[in-house]
Amino acid sequence: MHKSRWFLILLFVFIGAGGRALFAQVSPEIQLGARGVMSFNTNVAAHEATSAVNDFSDTGLLLGFRQKLYNRFRGQLVIGMQFPDANSDLGQVFFHQTFLRVDDKSNILKMGRSRVRSALIEFPTLRDDDALYFTDVLNPFSSGENTEDNQYGNVLELAHIFGQRTWLRVHGEHFTETPVLPATTETDFSLNAVGFSLQYRVPETQIWNRPFLQQIGIGFNNFLTDRPGYTSRTDKMLKNISVSTILNLRPDPVHFWDFRVQGIYNAGFKEIENAAAFGEFARAKATAGFASLRYLYRELERPTLQLALSFGYKTFPDLLNSTDQAQVVANSFYRLGENFDAGLQVQYSRNSGDLAGLLGESETRFQFALVYAIDQSWNRQFSDRNSLLNLEHGYIP
Amino acid sequence: MNRRDFLKAGAAVPALSLLPEALLAETTIQENKNKFPNALQPKMDGDVKVFELFIDIHQQEIVPAFRFHTLAFNNQVPGPEIRVNQGDKVRVNFKNKTELIHTIHWHGMHVPWRMDGVPYVTQMPVMPGQEFVYEFIAEPYGTHFYHCHWGTLLHMQSGMYGSFIVENADDPIKKQFPYDREYTLLYSAHDTNFIRNELNGMLERMKERMYLMKTGRFSKERFGVFDTKEELVDAVKNGYQPPYVVNRRAPSELPQPNWFTVNGKSYPSTPNLYIREGENIRVRLINGGTEEHYLHLHGHDFWLVCDDGLPLPQPWQQNTLRLSPGKTLDIIIEGKNRGIWTFHDHDTRRVTNNGLYPGGNLLALVYEDMPAKEAELGMMAKKMGLKSLPVVALDE
Repeated sequence: MHKSRWFLILLFVFIGAGGRALFAQVSPEIQLGARGVMSFNTNVAAHEATSAVNDFSDTGLLLGFRQKLYNRFRGQLVIGMQFPDANSDLGQVFFHQTFLRVDDKSNILKMGRSRVRSALIEFPTLRDDDALYFTDVLNPFSSGENTEDNQYGNVLELAHIFGQRTWLRVHGEHFTETPVLPATTETDFSLNAVGFSLQYRVPETQIWNRPFLQQIGIGFNNFLTDRPGYTSRTDKMLKNISVSTILNLRPDPVHFWDFRVQGIYNAGFKEIENAAAFGEFARAKATAGFASLRYLYRELERPTLQLALSFGYKTFPDLLNSTDQAQVVANSFYRLGENFDAGLQVQYSRNSGDLAGLLGESETRFQFALVYAIDQSWNRQFSDRNSLLNLEHGYIP
Repeated sequence: MNRRDFLKAGAAVPALSLLPEALLAETTIQENKNKFPNALQPKMDGDVKVFELFIDIHQQEIVPAFRFHTLAFNNQVPGPEIRVNQGDKVRVNFKNKTELIHTIHWHGMHVPWRMDGVPYVTQMPVMPGQEFVYEFIAEPYGTHFYHCHWGTLLHMQSGMYGSFIVENADDPIKKQFPYDREYTLLYSAHDTNFIRNELNGMLERMKERMYLMKTGRFSKERFGVFDTKEELVDAVKNGYQPPYVVNRRAPSELPQPNWFTVNGKSYPSTPNLYIREGENIRVRLINGGTEEHYLHLHGHDFWLVCDDGLPLPQPWQQNTLRLSPGKTLDIIIEGKNRGIWTFHDHDTRRVTNNGLYPGGNLLALVYEDMPAKEAELGMMAKKMGLKSLPVVALDE
């Protein structure tokens, strides 16, 4: 390289570094989220030997940086890693969150790798994916070898909040296409899904206003597939509609009861008459429902004991073999200390028709777990959108 | 302006920060009057002066572009000034409009002990939506103040303080140093991050607690309030863990104030003290915050005349005083040295706004009768295009 070009490069590096030093005045808020989920699983499956597994999947770490921008906006960077299932083909560590977010009082723009909007609400299960086939719109591009394909993707999302509680979200995603390439070597990241959702939800900080209706919502997820034999984009689109609600049956500070239910209708492709692979499973017409009844005992203003019973059912009317799925999950968590729980979970799942071959006929899983979740921040400089001061006493940017 | 010019201008700004022209403008002088606590007007009920005080959550702009949520008496920080004559019968109807718990303590006043505002000692706390009536005779005369005595660390720095002045027709200070004008300055220090976090947490907890109270299920352990020490000890033996233990909710650090205010404002929004040549002014200094302030007046030795409202047997002169938390000090400034003089905390950590200098407890003593000629800007400033006093928010 010519000497003068080296000089120019060094000069630019110097100026760049100097510029950063001169204006490096904003000390960001630093956020740390960590969750350790360790469970000892005993699986009793039909036609298979009983197995015992020491499972630490879903354990993860989130690191966030947040600051005010020059105007009313706030900017945030989040980087997160998670330990996926051993047989997930995602490696030892999976970077499930890497996104930037800009938001003000009523708008949020999010770009990067994050949780896709495949579910409207969360359910009280030990791990996020324990009832994935019922609780999430499934990724039709996935091989099904891991659940992360359905939960995380490259996301572009814009949300607008009307009057503190009504959320309109428009989102586009790139869902991982694992049948083509392993996730780690994928090169095409164009958007392959678009959707939107409308939700009314009471901020968590206002739970002791004791609302009966905590959440109600509807969502649309459309996958832009390569459906063989069709040229129209509409025909190639796999359409899913979700509806959900959370009802605070007894919003009592000591003995709290709530009920939540979500239904997902997958319009499917009519030519899918068998489900021998995950792609067909996700593209077949289906209706799924999942509901949970939860009891939470809170002693001295802290969660002490939680009991939950959940039930899911999914049916596939277009499959030639009569096919359905059912799942029951019962669990309890006892708090040993701040954010530190011991838990027991029993889940039974049953698959009939084509899914008996694809996913196994039935399985009963017993899990004893320890869960430790922390959410800390340092150098806090401003209030969250949903703080009571901001909600009830005037928002301060 | 290129970067080099900008830096030159920036370096020149501190030297010009107290140039006088704008400070002497009539509009500035009039606006400055609003920077002192408003006197709360009483209604008479027979021979009783009745004052109405309420507390609510309010947003306070300390300086332009920085606001935070406060607890404010009558939507003012500091609260309105209560000014009565020695021996007056005083009634204060206090209404709690927040979802938090409060009392009012009359700091330095010799009130009946049941009126002293200490929760669970002299009175039950004033719960959300409740009213409490304080009645007392205004004694002794002097500079005093009032503040919340519930959650004092949080509630006082959130704004719950105000001046209480008891006048005496036979005031010895006025006899010794005749004056017509007086000013009240209330100092405080605020960790706005602590205030925000704790207020949010308390509001959440109180929503829950209020429901339990209504349904008769509010326990001593839940509130952390016990009738006797033995009850607390027994509760701990039976498994109760107080919130101050590290496995409950004790924060790891005490508040670190990052904003320092005079009458609820930080420089450059602080009030100024106006004086004329030959005039005496009385300044009532009240520390309603948690920090010590070492207040220094340039170009003068003032007279320290009262301590905690009590006239000193012998006034003494100084130019720097220590204003401790909970303290009131009265000083007399004699207008003997014409000019614009800074009056500031000499612990210069408190002359900052969120860590940046200048800010905080910085204000000026201004001779309003200074000849206009003296108030003109120097040639150098004129060449730079400055027409009046810059309002400085330095970013060196």
